Amino acid sequence: MIVKQRLTAGAFLLSYGFLIAIVVMVAIFSLYSPNFFSLKNALFILHAAAPSMILATGVALVLMTGKIDISIGSTAYLSVAIGVMLMRGLHVNPILAMLIILPIGAFLGAVNGFVVVVLKVNPLIATLGSYFTFRGLALQVSNSMTISIPAQLGNIGSLRIGPVFIDILFAAVVLAIFQLIHTRTVFGRHVMAVGNGAEVAQKVGIPVDRTSFLTFMLAGLMASIGGVLTMFQVSSLSPTLGQGYEFTAIALLVIGGVSLFGGEGTIFPGIVLGALALTIIQSGLNFIGASVFVYPLVRGGIIFIAMYADSLKNMRKRQVKVLAEQG
Amino acid sequence: MRTTEPVPAGTTAIHRDSSQIIRFIPMGGLLLILVVLSAVVPYFLSVNNFVSILVQCSSLGLMAIGLTAVLITGGMDLSIPSLMSFSAVIGAIFMRSGGSPVIACVIMVLVATAGGCLNGFAVAYLRMIPFVVTLSTMAVFGGASIWVTNGMSVTGIPRGFITTVMHDIWIFPAPVVVLIVVAIIAHLFMTRSLYGRWLYAVGTNIRAARVSRIPAQGVLFGSYAFSGFVAGLAAIVTTAWLGTAGGTIGSEGVVLDVVSSAVLGGVSIYGGAGTALGAFVGAIFIKLISNTLNFVQASYYMTLVVKGIVIVAFVALDSMFRRRAGGTL
Amino acid sequence: MTAPSLVMTGIKKSFPGVKALKGVSFEAFPGESLAMIGANGAGKSTLMNILGGVVQPDEGQITIDGEETLIHSPSEAARLGIAFVHQELALMPTLSILDNMLISSFPTRNGLIDYDRGEVLCREALSRLGYEFNLRMQVRDLSPGDQQIVEIARTLLGKSRIVIFDEPTSSLTSREKERLFEIIRYLKSEGTTIIYITHLLDEIFTICEKAVILRNGEKVAQSAVKDLTRDGIVEKMIGSQEVVSYFQHHARQPGPVLLTVENFQREGYLDNINFSIHRGEVVGLWGLLGSGRTELFRAMMGLDQITGGRILIDMGRGARPIRPHSGKNPMGLVTEDRRTDGLLLPMSIRNNLSLANLRNFISRLWPFIARTREEAAANEYVRKLNIKSTSIEQRVATLSGGNQQKVVVGRWLQTSPLVFLMDEPTRGLDVEAKAELHSIISGLADSGAAVMFVSSDLDEIMSLSDRFLVMVRGRLVKELPRETTKHELLATASGMTGTMGGE
Repeated sequence: MIVKQRLTAGAFLLSYGFLIAIVVMVAIFSLYSPNFFSLKNALFILHAAAPSMILATGVALVLMTGKIDISIGSTAYLSVAIGVMLMRGLHVNPILAMLIILPIGAFLGAVNGFVVVVLKVNPLIATLGSYFTFRGLALQVSNSMTISIPAQLGNIGSLRIGPVFIDILFAAVVLAIFQLIHTRTVFGRHVMAVGNGAEVAQKVGIPVDRTSFLTFMLAGLMASIGGVLTMFQVSSLSPTLGQGYEFTAIALLVIGGVSLFGGEGTIFPGIVLGALALTIIQSGLNFIGASVFVYPLVRGGIIFIAMYADSLKNMRKRQVKVLAEQG
Repeated sequence: MRTTEPVPAGTTAIHRDSSQIIRFIPMGGLLLILVVLSAVVPYFLSVNNFVSILVQCSSLGLMAIGLTAVLITGGMDLSIPSLMSFSAVIGAIFMRSGGSPVIACVIMVLVATAGGCLNGFAVAYLRMIPFVVTLSTMAVFGGASIWVTNGMSVTGIPRGFITTVMHDIWIFPAPVVVLIVVAIIAHLFMTRSLYGRWLYAVGTNIRAARVSRIPAQGVLFGSYAFSGFVAGLAAIVTTAWLGTAGGTIGSEGVVLDVVSSAVLGGVSIYGGAGTALGAFVGAIFIKLISNTLNFVQASYYMTLVVKGIVIVAFVALDSMFRRRAGGTL
Repeated sequence: MTAPSLVMTGIKKSFPGVKALKGVSFEAFPGESLAMIGANGAGKSTLMNILGGVVQPDEGQITIDGEETLIHSPSEAARLGIAFVHQELALMPTLSILDNMLISSFPTRNGLIDYDRGEVLCREALSRLGYEFNLRMQVRDLSPGDQQIVEIARTLLGKSRIVIFDEPTSSLTSREKERLFEIIRYLKSEGTTIIYITHLLDEIFTICEKAVILRNGEKVAQSAVKDLTRDGIVEKMIGSQEVVSYFQHHARQPGPVLLTVENFQREGYLDNINFSIHRGEVVGLWGLLGSGRTELFRAMMGLDQITGGRILIDMGRGARPIRPHSGKNPMGLVTEDRRTDGLLLPMSIRNNLSLANLRNFISRLWPFIARTREEAAANEYVRKLNIKSTSIEQRVATLSGGNQQKVVVGRWLQTSPLVFLMDEPTRGLDVEAKAELHSIISGLADSGAAVMFVSSDLDEIMSLSDRFLVMVRGRLVKELPRETTKHELLATASGMTGTMGGE
């Protein structure tokens, strides 16, 4: 049975803590450097955050089913690398090459899905394995070279409509689509149901395996899209593409309220908040002149806090009143 | 309701243990590779070569042994290489500014153990998920390394340190001796001591362990503290071997190697099985695979691919055997 | 004469070591509520799980509305119009009421969920039960009673013709119970067939028209409720003459008080428990499912935190309080489910036997376990308890249930506890193993220890116990002497006879 939760100060803090923290951070950074709190800066922040937001949408669904995927950075790199090599090596039409990247990403996601759902391997190990396998393949395919892409494509990365970067709009569209999927499709509801408890979901007739498999495919697809976007932003394919992305995505999601335990969280505003939090910290640290190397440490610390908060939230959820023993 | 029928008493059930077969695959595989390599590579069977392989594995082997303790309890520790790197950096900086190498070694071990204790505390007492905790400590310590060193390797390590750590004891360099000694002690400890029994009990069935009054939380804490400690030893060895500390010395593939070593050495991801000696063998196995792939001129990248596939395959087999044997995952 | 909506014929089902159903048949009619009655383990849950598609019968037929069918899964059951409101509700805590109700059958339009239509359907179903909720609320914020309403409303959406309720009132307040009964009356008026599983006799007389009584996997009675009396039901539930000859009890003089539990409180599970145990006695802890017996044991062992109360141990020099989870706690616990929290299945007998006693095997030479001593002890207990095995290295998973249980007992014996707590020690064991365990239990008391055990087998608990403590819903309601009748025991546990601090 499930028990009523009372809204205590603790619960409030857990749910809204990060939001408050973001506001506080923005205030501090703005005091320090007046330029921080400007529209231009805000747009730059969003621009930088766009690829991570897109990647995160895919992983979000995987997390919501209570599983995990730490291979998306490598998936991004591999799918993009294949596309680029097709373009350069086989002289495939650039547009076509870019488009092919997407189904490749979905396929790689499907491989993950297969290993986790069909072979029943622990998702952590499975995606740890693909993290290295995909990256290795990608480095092999691209010879770990930095390859610049044709100008016409590269320019897409910095296109704007007025002052607003196009990729921000693109990310917004992706978020909107996923929000719709999450809240208004049967699949989206099934994802949340599985995350609440796979056995109960099975009892009610939900296709648990199929749902999980699809989430992995989507994660792969979004990873490839995010990879393409990153490539556009820096106008080249670099051997470090996607590195650390899985980390950022998970941190962003946990901060934004998607629980690692499954069944909780939102696309909007969760992902936006998480992405904002991370990029604000990053750019804020920049602004106050902290060394570039502080950021990974700070990010690590934030991840720890966010995950601790997640654990706490999960424990409260579990304080259930059970008067009935199992028969 | 379990699905396994209890075997009527009196049947010889000892041989029916397919889930244990997987523990022997790496041994068999190792032997196979050794045979193949010794046939193919001219100087392979020389003592020199063996010693050289062992030296290469000393750091990896140590870390794999540390991870084994954690894996046996059913946990996971992704932060071991980062802990090693960070403590190495701290020790190196200390030495660079004129500190005594001996004290530096102590510092490295202490720092790494402290990191392990942090992990242990979060898992055992804050009841967080091991993967999550160690993922974040991996980020924290990795980030801290980079921050403290400004992204550059720490040089200027006194010669004395290097020669002392790397000097030979009989035919083996000290690191190898340390590795072997640690492996043996850890193995004996895990398989024969009180705490070792507790370790396996907690990993097999933590609820039953608690009912039997085993201090399960303490055991969990200790396993992470141990892996931190061993990471500190690995830090000493690696710093002496490379002559520098920090930077991004192939840190990416190391976690995979450490986990693969343990898994191939027969340590189960799911807990309750595996030994320190197994991890030791696993580390050698991994190194041999790398060297072999190198020898046939496969690129570094292909080794990543191969390792990724091997580890997934191993765990898939492990879970399959476990399910056949009727156990729970 | 209306035709029955449901007929189950000759249903047989066995699980490893246990014949749960030995050929049960019954009929149910639309617009009627059929009570499915039986003590713990009588087979009612299994029978209903078969109807609900959770479990497959070994033999037998199911006929619904005149058509013979097979029910292979819960979704198939749902399609046939069977709804099962389990004791553990099948709800998703973080989802809204709306989502929970629609989860198996969302109305869609253009690929998206048509929430407008969904809302209308849900509101309608809920209002038929007389309820109105904010449909966007998360289900975990509702009270257990309200949650149950949601689950019942879900069954209405599916236009279920047969609704099974499994012990529905265990977590309800009396107001909520009343509400539930009204809903059931409403469902009946719509022609739904209700099957109501319970062992609470009062409810049967309130809400059911017919009753089927099961005992030991067989149907022992089916009749209209108006033709039954409370005593009659109880008698049928427990049977008049036991065929199995149970343990011959011999009188024991209990020694001085050994252990006293004072004011044990555990929020939500235990309420103000007070009792004492004497040396050399066997105390039977009796109660129905959910009465809190396992929780009491766990609290005594320090496995769960208590919010109040204490334990006093008197070893001859005055009563001294001890902390339940301290190492000095002289109690041993044989848990209810040896497989999940009793044994290390992949490990050897020797390993399992020494688990609680490892400290005593540490060699004097070095900090390792002295194998020889450990092996000697293991062999000793294998002999003492007659554990049938090929060697002490045999993996415990391959032993029979009875021998496994002996290993668990043996583990505690090694620590020479003063008090043995045993939770369903003979569950799932064959007659011979049960008998062996009975003599072990009695032997323990004879040697001066105290044994407190839980059993759902009335015959067993009556044959072994020197006295009884009865629990109902987390409270210790009565202490009964050895001479108590079966009838009285069952009645007390069902909450019928005057309870101390009852509802």
